[in-house]
Amino acid sequence: MPEITVREALRQAMDEEMARDDRVFLMGEEVAEYNGAYKVSQGLWEKYGDRRVIDTPITEYGFTGVGVGAAMAGLRPIIEWMTYNFSAMAYDQVLNNAAKTLHMSGGQINVPIVFRGPNGPAEFLSSQHSQALQSIYAHIPGLKVVSFSTAYDGKGLLKTAIRDDNPVMFLECELMYGWKDEVPEEEYLIPFGKADIKRAGKDVTLISYSKPVRMVLQAAEKLAEEGIDAEVLDLRSIRPLDEESIYKSVRKTNRCVVIDESWPFASVGSHVAWLVSTNCFDDLDAQVEFISSEDVPMPYNHTLELAVQPSVEKIVKAAKKVLYV
Amino acid sequence: MTLMNMVQSINSALDIKLEEDPKVLSFGEDAGLEGGVFRVTENLQKKHGEERVFDTPLSEAGIIGSAVGMCMTGLRPVAEIQFSGFVYPAYDHIISHAARMHNRTRGRYDMSMVIRMPYGGGIKAIEHHSESMETLFAHVPGLKVVIPSTPYDAKGLLISSIESDDPIIYMEPKRLYRAMKQEVPDGKFQIDIGKAKIVQEGSDITVVSYGAMMKEAREAAILAQKEGYSVELIDLRTIYPLDRKTVAESIRKTGRLLSVTEGPSFSGIGSELVTLANEEAFLSLEAPPTRLAGFDTIVPLPKGEHFYFHTADRILYEVEKLVKY
Repeated sequence: MPEITVREALRQAMDEEMARDDRVFLMGEEVAEYNGAYKVSQGLWEKYGDRRVIDTPITEYGFTGVGVGAAMAGLRPIIEWMTYNFSAMAYDQVLNNAAKTLHMSGGQINVPIVFRGPNGPAEFLSSQHSQALQSIYAHIPGLKVVSFSTAYDGKGLLKTAIRDDNPVMFLECELMYGWKDEVPEEEYLIPFGKADIKRAGKDVTLISYSKPVRMVLQAAEKLAEEGIDAEVLDLRSIRPLDEESIYKSVRKTNRCVVIDESWPFASVGSHVAWLVSTNCFDDLDAQVEFISSEDVPMPYNHTLELAVQPSVEKIVKAAKKVLYV
Repeated sequence: MTLMNMVQSINSALDIKLEEDPKVLSFGEDAGLEGGVFRVTENLQKKHGEERVFDTPLSEAGIIGSAVGMCMTGLRPVAEIQFSGFVYPAYDHIISHAARMHNRTRGRYDMSMVIRMPYGGGIKAIEHHSESMETLFAHVPGLKVVIPSTPYDAKGLLISSIESDDPIIYMEPKRLYRAMKQEVPDGKFQIDIGKAKIVQEGSDITVVSYGAMMKEAREAAILAQKEGYSVELIDLRTIYPLDRKTVAESIRKTGRLLSVTEGPSFSGIGSELVTLANEEAFLSLEAPPTRLAGFDTIVPLPKGEHFYFHTADRILYEVEKLVKY
């Protein structure tokens, strides 16, 4: 199997789906002539031309709204936000139009659209460009929210997202675009609502998703050195959420740590911690620990920037806490 | 003391602050001459003049963007958004500017604004007019979120909000606007932001709610008493910063938590409260910490609304289940 980058895996997913279905098109700032701010759409404009790979003005409210309208009219747009931080400009289009139209039209009008772009902290980008905004999207009925931690998952999930008849928030990360792993040449899809055990273990369940999964795996290796066998569950799909896999793992290990790089208050992480606290109440041998980013705007200073985010050390410490060691 | 409903008590708070502090302004769509669609700002323009109480164009991004600028020049704007469902075009201004400016300028600028907006269902309006989306603001560091449930609290909390140097999202439960009257002092008084109120002491279970759901929660507490269950009822009043101490102490006393909220369940305030119970009171819990949150769907049209909102009976059912666990 060839080893490819996350960037290439996402490009392949879009390329394959655009070749398969001529209703699929890509729109966003710099996605065409410049091949994307992070080069995810490399070569697509040359291959598919102006009508299917479209550069937009710098107005998220505008091109997000145009995308929602195109989806209502029967096309299948992929909207690239240069980063999810800028999606706040278009929040109304997503929340009030993309998410609600199927419901408000009594099931008559689908909105098959994918919103994709990097989400969450990278480096040296300060408070307005480092936000992990999954929780404010996961809270909204009518949206699906997916993330990935490997090139393999990214490709399979993006293809599923493009074929889905509903609005899908597809979360990427700047720092992950260069990560590499094995991706088969033959076609495959990954269904929504299926979490993936990235490392099997029996002593404690570490639940995470997106970029932090790699860090959680490193923490699991550290714990293994001390004889602690951690299970790492990658949620992949946040909404719909694979609750069964979560419960199955926690009922096996009886202990749980949730790791989420978003802010803590009313977040995806606190939602998962709630599910486990309520539904595995009689199985838990310790309280659920929750590691998130600190409840502050992201500092610019790099030392502080790293200090507010989850880290291998914090995860190891939390795992030991729920194991009472 | 005068018998006031919530519309009158909020009007009284605005009147007092406009009178007392020339830096305070009140504005919004139809909030000047007409006194707002719910008549909350009635007569304020007549009394305080068109320069301080005025109508704005139908542009939420403009309203909040202007408020950010006003704060930077030292004013204390109170901006009205006609319905909370209309606030999203201004979401970027709220989370990227209002919430961040103090932090980004290392304290040089205060964002001393209040954003008032009616929220929630129960008045037989349609989708965009019925939501309870406090989570979307409570999740973001830098904002405070205040939601009153009585005319008395509404006045005291609004005066404190206007005097606060931080941006405050002040959400008004519109189905309680005229639902009850209460003796409210005519003059100035304040209620601390960040302090929950124990409405009723009890020993079997802690029920936590706020805003419009407090009405049903109060009714449920009375029904529960008739059944022989002693409910400790807490009105959060401030959603963020959350009064963790009051809630945690109560759960440690009763051993049980039921949170009752109106908004959608996924990563909502209810999940946050259950996570709090798990973090702060794990070893005192006698039953799974539980939440009754809004269904994870868009608020139905008027004829289906009553299926969506929790009734006192539904709350009682959960109370009974937990006490007998």
